Amino acid sequence: MNNRWTPRIVVFQCQYSLYCEADQRWMDTQLPPHIKLISVPCTGRISPLFVLNAIQGGADGLLISGCQPEKCHYKEGNLGARRQLDEFWRFLTYLGMEEERMRFAWIDLSERGRIQQELADLEEAIRAIGPIRRLVTRAIPVGENP
Amino acid sequence: MNQLIPAIRQEAARILQEDIVDVVIGFKAGTLPLKAQPAFITREEDARKLVYNGFCQNNLASYLTRRPKEERMGIICRGCESRAIRALLLERQHDRDKLYLIGVPCVGIIDWRKIEREVGENTLQAGEEGDEVIVSARDGEHRFQRADVLHDSCQRCLHPNPVGTDIVLGDPLPEGDTERAWAPAIEFEALPPEERYAYFIQEAERCIRCYACREACPMCYCTECFVDYTTPRWAESMITPSGTQAWHIIRAFHQTGRCVSCGACERACPMDIKMTYLTDKLNYDMVQQYGFEVGDSEKAQPPFAAFTLDDKNRFVR
Repeated sequence: MNNRWTPRIVVFQCQYSLYCEADQRWMDTQLPPHIKLISVPCTGRISPLFVLNAIQGGADGLLISGCQPEKCHYKEGNLGARRQLDEFWRFLTYLGMEEERMRFAWIDLSERGRIQQELADLEEAIRAIGPIRRLVTRAIPVGENP
Repeated sequence: MNQLIPAIRQEAARILQEDIVDVVIGFKAGTLPLKAQPAFITREEDARKLVYNGFCQNNLASYLTRRPKEERMGIICRGCESRAIRALLLERQHDRDKLYLIGVPCVGIIDWRKIEREVGENTLQAGEEGDEVIVSARDGEHRFQRADVLHDSCQRCLHPNPVGTDIVLGDPLPEGDTERAWAPAIEFEALPPEERYAYFIQEAERCIRCYACREACPMCYCTECFVDYTTPRWAESMITPSGTQAWHIIRAFHQTGRCVSCGACERACPMDIKMTYLTDKLNYDMVQQYGFEVGDSEKAQPPFAAFTLDDKNRFVR
């Protein structure tokens, strides 16, 4: 793998997700260009189709971050998301996708710097397995992206 | 199976005569051998048209959501159909009081493709005799063992007996073997990832997007399917790798905890695409993770509707 390759990462973030204020500002303004932030009203809003579209569009990694179980703004949106997305990723793994490409994180208000850590961990894991090659049907082939 | 026909006809005639239902949904002999077709019987005297044999391929539960809501229906249901009806009732697709379910144990559906592969396309007549299937073709008579020509889903059928019906005709059959039922999904998962992926794209790329699988499925009843949605367009509607793969993945995923493994989708597919290996995996996961099997109970919600606080999985705190 050449050193110029940077993994493309998509972050699905619940808009009520309780990052501490400094992290939230970092997410909004200082996110590196290879990380795309997609704000959703709740993790329960994330349809498996969103995830599949990100994969087909050439995302090398996915991070889904939401609120702690008891702290969902909509009471139980994240509980539904947990079952669905976990099973969906298991299903894609069954079809040959690498398991490491998707991470889930539930982040609390008190955990400053956690999101940066999660993103760095994910990026490291993806660099280890290389660019995505399976199920990518709507993106430019890997290696050429900035 | 054949010996149940008089009892089915009699019961259908009775419920129509006593005005318990408006229509009885069953099967009548089709215009081609090896293929029976669904029949909608509204008059008592037409009940004699009903047949019941191994050539009845459709899942009749799919008519539950495709006919008027207020209609009182009598449905002749096998194991998978009765379970699909239970799942649909749980999703409030019809009123149980307006249904009269005639349960019949099922010994499996014969896959006409398997016979056609042996005999060719010149089948003149087909019938069953005990454990044998007899097919007359231009070049003579062919006999098959029933177990050899059963549809794949029926070979590993778990629940041949109907559940929650108003009446059951015939004697109950032994329940299926769990190990045999889940074997294909487990074996597929044991393959290396690249082989699994290769198999998946090879199956998906033959898809012509006719949506016969969707129409045949009792659980696919959305008025607007995600592939027909144009603003925004979630999945490509063309025969592109992107479109067909998205269709196969999401169609199967929407069946999680709802699929009854009847195999109607595979039987309906004009391109003979294998797709039960997808839903089987999801069903297997639901059994493993949440101990849920479709149609086991009248009350239990499917896992995606019955989430709890203490699920354990990859969401890390």
